[in-house]
Amino acid sequence: MNYSMSTEWAYIIDANRDVIIGQWLDCSLALFPEKMGYDTPVADALAEALGTLLTGLGKEDQRFMDALDDITRILAVQNFPPSRAISIFFEPKAMFREIMKRSNVAESLTQKVQTEFSSRIDELVLQAFDSYMQHREKIAQLKVEEGSRRMFMALRRAEA
Amino acid sequence: MSKYLPKLSELKKEFDEKPSVLKGDYSPREWWNLPVEFRDGNWCFPAKPEVLDDLGFANPRKWAATDEDWQLPSGWQKTISDGLHSRLRKYRSLKLFLDACVRCGACADKCHFFLGTGDPKNMPVVRAELLRSVYRNDFPLVEKILKGFSGSRKLTEEVVKEWHMYFHQCTECRRCSVFCPFGIDTAEITIMVRELLNLIGVNNNWILGPVSNCNRTGNHLGIEPHTFVQNINSLAEDIEDLTGVTVEPTFNRKGAEVLFITPSGDVFGDPGVYTMMGYLLLFHHIGLDYTISTYASEGGNFGLFTSNDMMKKLNAKMYHEAKRLGVKWILGGECGHMWRVVHQYMNTMNGPADFLEQPVSPITGTRFSNAAATKMVHIAEFTADLIHHNKLKLDPKRNDHLRTTFHDSCNVARGMGMFEEPRYVLRNVCNSFHEMPENTIREKTFCCGSGSGLNAEEYMDIRMRGGFPRAHAVRYVKERHKVDSLVTICAIDRASLPPLMRYWNPGVSVYGLHELVGNALVMQGEKKRTTDLRENDMAGFEDGGDDEE
Repeated sequence: MNYSMSTEWAYIIDANRDVIIGQWLDCSLALFPEKMGYDTPVADALAEALGTLLTGLGKEDQRFMDALDDITRILAVQNFPPSRAISIFFEPKAMFREIMKRSNVAESLTQKVQTEFSSRIDELVLQAFDSYMQHREKIAQLKVEEGSRRMFMALRRAEA
Repeated sequence: MSKYLPKLSELKKEFDEKPSVLKGDYSPREWWNLPVEFRDGNWCFPAKPEVLDDLGFANPRKWAATDEDWQLPSGWQKTISDGLHSRLRKYRSLKLFLDACVRCGACADKCHFFLGTGDPKNMPVVRAELLRSVYRNDFPLVEKILKGFSGSRKLTEEVVKEWHMYFHQCTECRRCSVFCPFGIDTAEITIMVRELLNLIGVNNNWILGPVSNCNRTGNHLGIEPHTFVQNINSLAEDIEDLTGVTVEPTFNRKGAEVLFITPSGDVFGDPGVYTMMGYLLLFHHIGLDYTISTYASEGGNFGLFTSNDMMKKLNAKMYHEAKRLGVKWILGGECGHMWRVVHQYMNTMNGPADFLEQPVSPITGTRFSNAAATKMVHIAEFTADLIHHNKLKLDPKRNDHLRTTFHDSCNVARGMGMFEEPRYVLRNVCNSFHEMPENTIREKTFCCGSGSGLNAEEYMDIRMRGGFPRAHAVRYVKERHKVDSLVTICAIDRASLPPLMRYWNPGVSVYGLHELVGNALVMQGEKKRTTDLRENDMAGFEDGGDDEE
């Protein structure tokens, strides 16, 4: 794949991609009841989407938005509250901080990169919130549509 | 926003204040001590008092699963205990299933609800354990002595709440039983627990409402005969507009050769009505001597999700009508649980139907020896036989605007072992058909997540979770083969898969098999057809395009 990394943090993310995805998936699955394993369709879908999300963090193309939608689509119908669901999008901040701590980058640069990354993640959380809410709206809409579909012929006769 | 949704602030407060598995608050506790918490969106509305009155069922009252007090009738423990005892004596299978399980866990990760939620109580083995733990407290003597050690517990109100929650997160699809080395049918355990819960008025309006309607007018929506007839005639008018062909279904006609019974969703609901149009075109095409009953106006049987007696009562109308009308045999439409009832129970419940003949196709002469006992043939078998004998004039190009995959309905697949016939029909009526992954189809098919009467709109979140494994498999063929049409032979699927697809896989539409048959049938005397039965443009049939010969 050909894409350009526009910022320093994007290079750091790319270099530590597998570690971050692994930890991010762990955090995400921890939201679910204890038995949500790594070999389930949910984990499978989350892992794929988190990977795409991380790749697209620096450029926000359609694939990035689709991946974000895929993740929030799963989260929006679970048995945990919205605040818990959205919390996973904050997680990369802590992971990034750890990575920076272990690196031998100069202190001044570390500060700058971390602040930039932190803003990007704040923005991601807001994007995730929009996306999550779209799915909740969709659920409400599906309930209405289902009622009309069930009464399709009755409504058709009423309109005629 | 939906009125069923809690506010964010409420959820946050609740999470902070209440103990939670997520915060590790229950780590040293037994699994059954984990609390069961009802909140709007994770329970189906209970049956209305008038519905229970109509049916003569126990404990009619206004209540909600979120209430502290469920107003159970006095002596409810004895009712359940006696009910379980009598069922253990009556159904040898139940006793066997309760005793035989060795907790090997082969079923654990096969349930779509478990895969979609990760909740350990949704593992079929644990779900059954919810009943087994109570059974062990009361029944086998040795285990009665070894209380505690044997994992037994007392029947309390909390247990009833837990049963209500988890036996309504099972769609009785029987995927788990395919993998059980002992052949334990966990669906049967769910059936029994729901039957016990009904004895004390713990129930679901989405099941009992239709049961009551069926009991009164014959079909789930409670539609009366004149409206039933008007609806089908209105579909016949649509057929005439679209094809120029006049189909003339008859109703309650004595002396017809065949009685046709289909789920009422095909007569009233979208997209079921298009499947109905497909049946009508097919019957006209082959000149079948058939009639439709306005009393046996429902193939579905929500009695299966209520109690054995209710299932028997609601099923009886099929044979009653066949006898009254003097038909030779019965042809059944596309439905899931209807076929479980017909194939597995009807003959012993309401048979033998010795007034009927062993079904023989009047067009091909094929004798359906598999239906020798029930005298009822599945339409996919019937149509596959017609195609095999080259009796249908089909133009599969008329479905070229659709790229299809096939969803095996649980009850037809696992309940009667029908895998090939619908696929054979599908391959003959369309040119683009791609299978979903092998472990998600045929006998391993994943449920739609809304079967067994869980198709209630207030239950949408849980249905979306339970349906996720099926949707994930559809996504696979959508991405690899650009599949945009999910074909199925079940009325519940036709009702529940559209929202499931709209949520997880936008762009995928749901079709009945015979809708595609109806599209492909080249009718005698038809006008030039440019749209399918939904009035969507067909590919390559635009004016001046490639018409059929």
